[in-house]
Amino acid sequence: MSDSRLKDATLHAEKLVRVEGLTLPIDVMALAKSQEIAVEAKPASARGVSGMLLRAGNHFAIAYATHVKSVGFQRFSVAHELGHFFLPGHPDHVFRGGSTIHESQAGFGSRDQIELEADHFAAGLLMPSHLFKFEAGKFSDGLVAIENVAERCQTSLTASAIRYAELTDAAVAVIVSSGTSVDYCFSSRTLRGIRGYKHPTKGSALPRDSLTFAFNKTPDGITNGLRDDDSCDLIAWFKAEDEIEASEEVVGLGEYGKTLTIITADVPDEDDE
Amino acid sequence: MPDSDDNIFAARLLYARDTLRKLKQSELAEKAGLPSTSISHFENPKGTRKPSFDNLRRLANALEVTTDYLIGLSDDHVGMPVADQLYRDMKNLTDQDKALAQHMIKKLLEKNSTKE
Repeated sequence: MSDSRLKDATLHAEKLVRVEGLTLPIDVMALAKSQEIAVEAKPASARGVSGMLLRAGNHFAIAYATHVKSVGFQRFSVAHELGHFFLPGHPDHVFRGGSTIHESQAGFGSRDQIELEADHFAAGLLMPSHLFKFEAGKFSDGLVAIENVAERCQTSLTASAIRYAELTDAAVAVIVSSGTSVDYCFSSRTLRGIRGYKHPTKGSALPRDSLTFAFNKTPDGITNGLRDDDSCDLIAWFKAEDEIEASEEVVGLGEYGKTLTIITADVPDEDDE
Repeated sequence: MPDSDDNIFAARLLYARDTLRKLKQSELAEKAGLPSTSISHFENPKGTRKPSFDNLRRLANALEVTTDYLIGLSDDHVGMPVADQLYRDMKNLTDQDKALAQHMIKKLLEKNSTKE
């Protein structure tokens, strides 16, 4: 995968936001309409794909799934399809020939790259860095900032948390876990810069003495979207060389059966040392 | 026009602009709402810059040709439209999705024929 192309996809969306003078929450339906792209919701009973971009001649349409009730998920699906419309090179990857479905396009390979690009476009469109940082700056570092920005951007808590880790100057990690292991982790640049930092990889074990480990033992807490917080040490989570105290905030992600953990550390600037 | 080129889009864009519509790059750029440099990049057969659907539609409308013609799906620059579908999570595509896609494409094709 090409990281620079993913960054370009985000920048492309952010430029669109600036040029069109869009404000939060970004109205993806109005944006589609301004481009004469018809948008249709799939019936809530229909599962299947989360979105489709359709073209006939010079006309375009988007269908998006509604079986997941989250407005954030639905908006992300539409923004993702807009990514396929606006991003360079995507016409090369379109399935051709009317209703014929080319199975070879599925799975890994180049198609995954364009799906990732469309995801990055969606993140940049719904959570443009200049507007996102301004909103996040109104709150303390950590979950409270993420929750407020998610509400302002009308994006899911998880998508907002990932974007937050990408954009914040604070030492923050966003970890999604299930059971006793990490599904994925995104850390901010400041956190990655601490001495000895080791990134928790997919499938790695949660620290046994962490709040998240204990929280995941009670599935009801996850399903009911309960939350908890405690202090922790970065050594346990990231093998940091120095003892650095941090806060660990945990939220159950409901029907997804996963847990969102936000680690926020007070890492002193090098200039302060 | 030379369809055997590796970059059909570049060749067809140049042909449509220069031969069919007799426009300068700057004139097409203005009509399409794109920078002149983009037209120059797109027409370069060895260029690596690829158009988006947004670019294609702007160029097709400005040149009064179809996007299908520009990308080599049709040899007729004002011919019947070809339908494309781009799915996310291809493996999750259901029969209901396929039916919905066909229904929506039918509506888009009707739009095309209404305009013609």
